[in-house]
Amino acid sequence: MDRNRRSELLARANSSELTAMAEAFLSRRSIAEEIQVVNPPEVGMVMMQVREPVCKERFHLGEVVVTRAEVAVAGVRGWAMRSGTDRETTLAAALLDACAEHDVELAAEVQALCERTADRIAADERREWEELRATAVSFEELD
Amino acid sequence: MGYAAARGGLKAIEAAERLVARERVLGESQWLESKQMIEKLRLAVDRVMGEGGLWDEHLAASALRQAEGDPIEAAHLLRSYRSTLPRLAYTTPVDVDDLTVLRRIVPAFRNPPGPQLLGRTTDYTGRLLDTDDETSQRTAAEKMAAFIEENVTISKAIDGDAEPTDIRQPRRLLDLLRDLDAVVDRRRTDDPEPFDITRHPARPPATRSARLATMARAETGALVNVWYRNILGPDGYLHEITLGEVRHGRLPVTVIHPLTGDPVSISDVRVTEVEAIEDLNGIDEDRGRFDVGYGLCFGHNEKKAIAMANLDIACERDKGRSFLEQSILLTTDGLDASGFLEHLKLPHYVTFRSMMERKAAIRQFQENT
Repeated sequence: MDRNRRSELLARANSSELTAMAEAFLSRRSIAEEIQVVNPPEVGMVMMQVREPVCKERFHLGEVVVTRAEVAVAGVRGWAMRSGTDRETTLAAALLDACAEHDVELAAEVQALCERTADRIAADERREWEELRATAVSFEELD
Repeated sequence: MGYAAARGGLKAIEAAERLVARERVLGESQWLESKQMIEKLRLAVDRVMGEGGLWDEHLAASALRQAEGDPIEAAHLLRSYRSTLPRLAYTTPVDVDDLTVLRRIVPAFRNPPGPQLLGRTTDYTGRLLDTDDETSQRTAAEKMAAFIEENVTISKAIDGDAEPTDIRQPRRLLDLLRDLDAVVDRRRTDDPEPFDITRHPARPPATRSARLATMARAETGALVNVWYRNILGPDGYLHEITLGEVRHGRLPVTVIHPLTGDPVSISDVRVTEVEAIEDLNGIDEDRGRFDVGYGLCFGHNEKKAIAMANLDIACERDKGRSFLEQSILLTTDGLDASGFLEHLKLPHYVTFRSMMERKAAIRQFQENT
């Protein structure tokens, strides 16, 4: 799993799973002593630019509330941005990203969490489609 | 009290606020949870996000609760909150072809590319007020849930887990019309920078990106009114319009990862998207082809997106000849309009006394001449 994909999944992972794993990592002296919060969690917005299909022009749809954080472990930087205002979970995600870059063993644990998240998202989407497909319609034209 | 030529009243204002706060939070009913509003009053929450120009369901639900259910006031609260936040980034330009549909209908065409998917709607249901009590409504809903569950299992057994991309991200009717050379081609290659309505007020003549951004954030009722007036009312701009696409779905929020420099999708927002096909019949227009207007807004709000798409193409065809663009840019923002309206309730004692004195002076002048 490459780093970009990991960030995407850490952004969508369950809050409880992320914070529990971050707590577990922090209980290791090797992590606790080497951690540095580079940018503390900050709530802000990203402006959503969209490209519309008629003229292929960009316009601003509106802003999305996000929280971002940056953490380093032994100088290795980790970054996270998640939608919403949950500072603690975003900090946990940034810590896991840094740990995954810093330590092969921890990377495997983070990867497992990310894979569970990907499986959950895929299952949700399958379920969603299974419910939606019953609403597919073909109206008949009247003569 | 900061309004011109009046001050004081602090104790009365605080007493009035206490009356609101007590009923809003306490009252005789349970605390109104944000999750409850997001689930069960989702269209109101979506509307507040759209008109507030800010996507966050929990904040929008909080605003709606604080505003006692008034969507314009809730959008105002959301915009106020927004003004306290830094803008951390811009998304990479998100191509709307990446929208994953939850609902998609093509009123213009019986067999478009991809499915006609009704999704979650009561469009085809009679508008009958359900006055049953909670127990009866719960029993009925549980039966429906069981029916859905049963049918999900059946479809799973038949078709497995397949969910082809062309079904959830179907090709749009506009592409088909292009294949048939039935639509004028207005695609640009110069990629102009979008106008930012949060930094500068949009004024006519405006760029299309300013108009689209203004309408995406407009108050739903105001936009519907401008559209209705334009199509049927005294503006007399009667035109033949057919809806191409009406979609509700998810769009990815994609930002640049600061450590890799690559785009990453950190979240989704739900949007409503509409394409309105316009029959060109003007003397200076290509009467052998159609043109298309576009609407897109946060959340599930089909009335707004349909009005927006219609007004986009109406504005394009109008080319500044009427006051249509001015109406869209200057009169559809809920905060602008309601702010001006609400201010009328503030004390105007001094200005009105001045007006009274002028009237008295005129009467005296009339009596003396």
